Amino acid sequence: MATNELLRTTDTADSYRGPRRRPWWQSLLIHGGLVGFGLVMLYPLLWMLSSSFKPTDIIFREPGLIPTELEPGNYVQGWTALLHPFHRYIFNSLVIVACSIVGNLLACSMTAYAFARLNFRGRKLFFAVMLATIMLPIHVVIVPQYILFNELGWINTFYPLIVPKFLAQDAFFIFLMVQFIRVLPRELDEAARIDGCNHWGIFWRVIMPLSMPALATTAIFTFIWTWNDFYSQLIFLTDPDLATVPLALRFFVDSQGDTSWGPLFSMSIVALVPIFGFFLAGQRYLVRGIATTGIK
Amino acid sequence: MRTRRRTQLRAASAAALALALAVAAGGCGDDGDSGDGTIQLTFTWWGSDSRHAYTQELIDMFTAEHPNIEIQPTFSDFDGYWDALATATAGGNAPDIIQMEERFVREYVANGQLLDLNTVSDVLDTSQLDPAALAAGEIDGGLYTIATGFNAFAIVADPQIVQDAGFEMPDDTTWSWQDYIDLTVDISEAGGGDYFGAQAFGTNEALFNIYARQQGEALYNADGTLGFTAETLAEFWDLALEQIERGGTPGPEETVEIGATGPDQSLLATNRGAFGTWWTNQLGTLSGSAGRELVLLRQPGESTGVQPGMYLKPAMSWSISANTEHPREAAMFVDFLLNSPEAGEKLLNDRGVPANPTVRDAIADQLPPAEQQVADFMSELAPTLGEAPPPPPTGAGEVVDIMQRIYEEMLFGNLTTTEAANEFIEQVQDAIAT
Amino acid sequence: MASTSLQSALTPAVETTEPPAAPAGGRKTWRKDGRAAVLFLAPWFVGLVGITLGPIIASLVLSFTDYNLLSDPNWVGLENYRAMLEDERLHQALRVTITYTVVGVPAQLVVALGLAIVLDRGVRGLPLYRSIYYLPSLLGGSVAIAILWRLIFGTRGLVNQVLELPVVSDLAGLVGLTPTGWISNPDTALWTIVLLHVWTFGSPMVIFLAGLRQIPAMYYEAASVDGAGWFTRFFRITLPLLTPIIFFNLVLQVINSFQSFTQAFIVSGGKGGPADATLFYTLYLYQEGFKNFDMGYASAMAWLLLTIIAGFTAVNFIAARYWVFYGDE
Repeated sequence: MATNELLRTTDTADSYRGPRRRPWWQSLLIHGGLVGFGLVMLYPLLWMLSSSFKPTDIIFREPGLIPTELEPGNYVQGWTALLHPFHRYIFNSLVIVACSIVGNLLACSMTAYAFARLNFRGRKLFFAVMLATIMLPIHVVIVPQYILFNELGWINTFYPLIVPKFLAQDAFFIFLMVQFIRVLPRELDEAARIDGCNHWGIFWRVIMPLSMPALATTAIFTFIWTWNDFYSQLIFLTDPDLATVPLALRFFVDSQGDTSWGPLFSMSIVALVPIFGFFLAGQRYLVRGIATTGIK
Repeated sequence: MRTRRRTQLRAASAAALALALAVAAGGCGDDGDSGDGTIQLTFTWWGSDSRHAYTQELIDMFTAEHPNIEIQPTFSDFDGYWDALATATAGGNAPDIIQMEERFVREYVANGQLLDLNTVSDVLDTSQLDPAALAAGEIDGGLYTIATGFNAFAIVADPQIVQDAGFEMPDDTTWSWQDYIDLTVDISEAGGGDYFGAQAFGTNEALFNIYARQQGEALYNADGTLGFTAETLAEFWDLALEQIERGGTPGPEETVEIGATGPDQSLLATNRGAFGTWWTNQLGTLSGSAGRELVLLRQPGESTGVQPGMYLKPAMSWSISANTEHPREAAMFVDFLLNSPEAGEKLLNDRGVPANPTVRDAIADQLPPAEQQVADFMSELAPTLGEAPPPPPTGAGEVVDIMQRIYEEMLFGNLTTTEAANEFIEQVQDAIAT
Repeated sequence: MASTSLQSALTPAVETTEPPAAPAGGRKTWRKDGRAAVLFLAPWFVGLVGITLGPIIASLVLSFTDYNLLSDPNWVGLENYRAMLEDERLHQALRVTITYTVVGVPAQLVVALGLAIVLDRGVRGLPLYRSIYYLPSLLGGSVAIAILWRLIFGTRGLVNQVLELPVVSDLAGLVGLTPTGWISNPDTALWTIVLLHVWTFGSPMVIFLAGLRQIPAMYYEAASVDGAGWFTRFFRITLPLLTPIIFFNLVLQVINSFQSFTQAFIVSGGKGGPADATLFYTLYLYQEGFKNFDMGYASAMAWLLLTIIAGFTAVNFIAARYWVFYGDE
């Protein structure tokens, strides 16, 4: 098929960026700056890491970065102190996250293709409506949502958290993909059309492969935001068997001051591992985006 | 005239309201039975991991005795708890057994969401309970909530710092507010910045209630109106500011900063202050974080005012949803929580010093040292206490925030104490009127 | 409603004079597109009608009632909206939120874009830097942030310790920087939250990076043939082709920033203090709706907010016609 010839996988970083070699002092300056800045960015994480190894009682008495007393037991306690072992909560979160990613990738990209490439009556109106749906704070829609999902019998199931994703209700990602698709030249669509592709073919064979960076971004953000989303999970999942990571972390917190900081910080570190891992994996698709070489 | 207008308005807007009503009517809570005769109840509370763990054990103990009852737990931290509870209630899905807080009781009662516990008195025995446990729930002739146990708002002191500074521990049966302030100023001076006399007071409405009661007034009257004068509040704040200005506490900025944190990050917990005002149940956390023994003292002014002002506050309380399908079974569970010595052995003082004296005595020798001290302090205190305050009015949940806001304005010099007191009264009246 | 102006603003940015490689068939493709659009939009439309729209309309209706979550609502007409006119805390919340948006959003985007460009170039170990810079954004709503912010900006925090160093204190004194309780002083508290916002620039940075990667290589190849240098390529190709992404980040960050909640909630313990200095709009709305059981008023507040955000967004879309360039035009 001729369309395939339009696409060529290249590591774009090498094909057009400036010269790689620079004098040693320049490299030193750049790396020095980047490392220094990195330390500022990392400080909070390092602090949390260090605190996760301190006994709860001394975390605030000795807030320095280097622990004077090591308490690796925080990890054991954090993992086991709740009703279920912590991996149960990680598993629950992963189920929701995995479904959300699949849902968002499929549904939002389809919707975005329509807004970016199709001419249809009411496009601008629909687009405005779509954007307007993310302009209301969650706190005023959550109660009606609860009632709606309660009527559907969805409270204490993962449906309220997953189904909207498969129905492209996250305007952020639709708009994101619309913007990315619109960067792609229309000549590509035309070439594919001449090759006999219909809209589905153009979407699936041309636009989607070229939108790898946007899809990767969507997947990464969906993962992180769903993983960290506390509020809707708090409202829709009241059964402790279904609790997710952010809910489980709050189980350690006590308003009266009896918070189990050690276990809380240790499990917060554990909770960071999956998102950070996914980010590391996902960003490879940002770096090595498939770029078009265009039509000569 | 007014009523007619309202009716017209209603008629005109009926269509639009239909949806909103559907919203409010919500689901029909079909969490009743599971067909095989098992009764299913839901039970919700707030707290942290240790409370979640032993409360689950309590549930297991109860259901082992009553195999026909299943109890589904729901729990979260304090902030999330109220959002989730309000949302579930709005959806007609309120849990059957609810852990309540004094400040929100009236809100739920006024809207008919809580069961009058007098209707289930045959299975829920209140005869052995401390009368103060019921006082908090007696509203308009009904009984809507029963205290799980009590706390008192007291002074927590670090004898080590007092000694380091070269002073004797004060006699808390006779000290006045002025004594307290003078002592903290002296300790701060001795500390030279390493430690302070005290963490500032003035943002806590419970402490003001104590102060007002000492002057023969009260924060709220039984009819839900305000029971104090602006002069009294201004006096109270004058004392608080005097302590800060004279250096008995850290400066305004640090005061706000520390005030925003919990007990485990307070001056006492970090060995940087000699005194602080806390609820008695926080002693364990404070001593644990401080890494040394702290002691409870009575508030200043208990013997120098018109009358003693300290009182037993329900730590939290048990309520049953008005919409429960199984009021009797829910009440049996609450009875178990309140009156069973076996339950008491799990609860210990975690939900306050137990409201049932039999339970209180049964667990006395099982308490950890800090809790032992709390129990002793409370029983010593009990005979000297004044009458328990009435349940706070609807809207009292807002008062905490209003007090803090105005206190901060005052602290940074935007309001004088008199202006602040008047402003407070105005805003609180606004909040509790609705 | 503002949606009409929004709608009119949504005409494709940068209207070019000549029609872009017009799809063959004219009218016919329009009709064909229509049928395809139905298919492509079906999931979204089902979700909109079935899940999203109901609660949104319900909140609009509730904004005309005294709904308190616990009882049936009563119609109060425009009462909530009238009360907003006199509500000084609401006005304070608007001031706080607008200041935060107007300063925080551009600042964050500049940092994000700058770093994305630096990190897009061939520097060894880039993935590592990128990941490290993204870490703060992962922490999100962690309670640890509140503690850290105090350790850094508290009266005895890192910032003040640095400001008290011998030479630094003199220099800082010259520009009027003296140690204070940055988070507890009402004059500075909001700025620490703006800083927190800028510090979590990870998300827009990643989107910029992805945008840089999406730019078709053919443009650069053409430029190389012409012998253009880095500078020319950046301003003639990279920047113009990145404008849709810059635009996206701008629009979404403005929308998000008006609804900013978590950071202020965590740093101020849900109070918006000191003395309402960090009373963000949604924080106040949340307090009214859930803590004070006035969901009717909170709903009215939400619709005022929606109007304001829609207004800002419409302005953004109108302005975009003059500076955003799309590859498909």
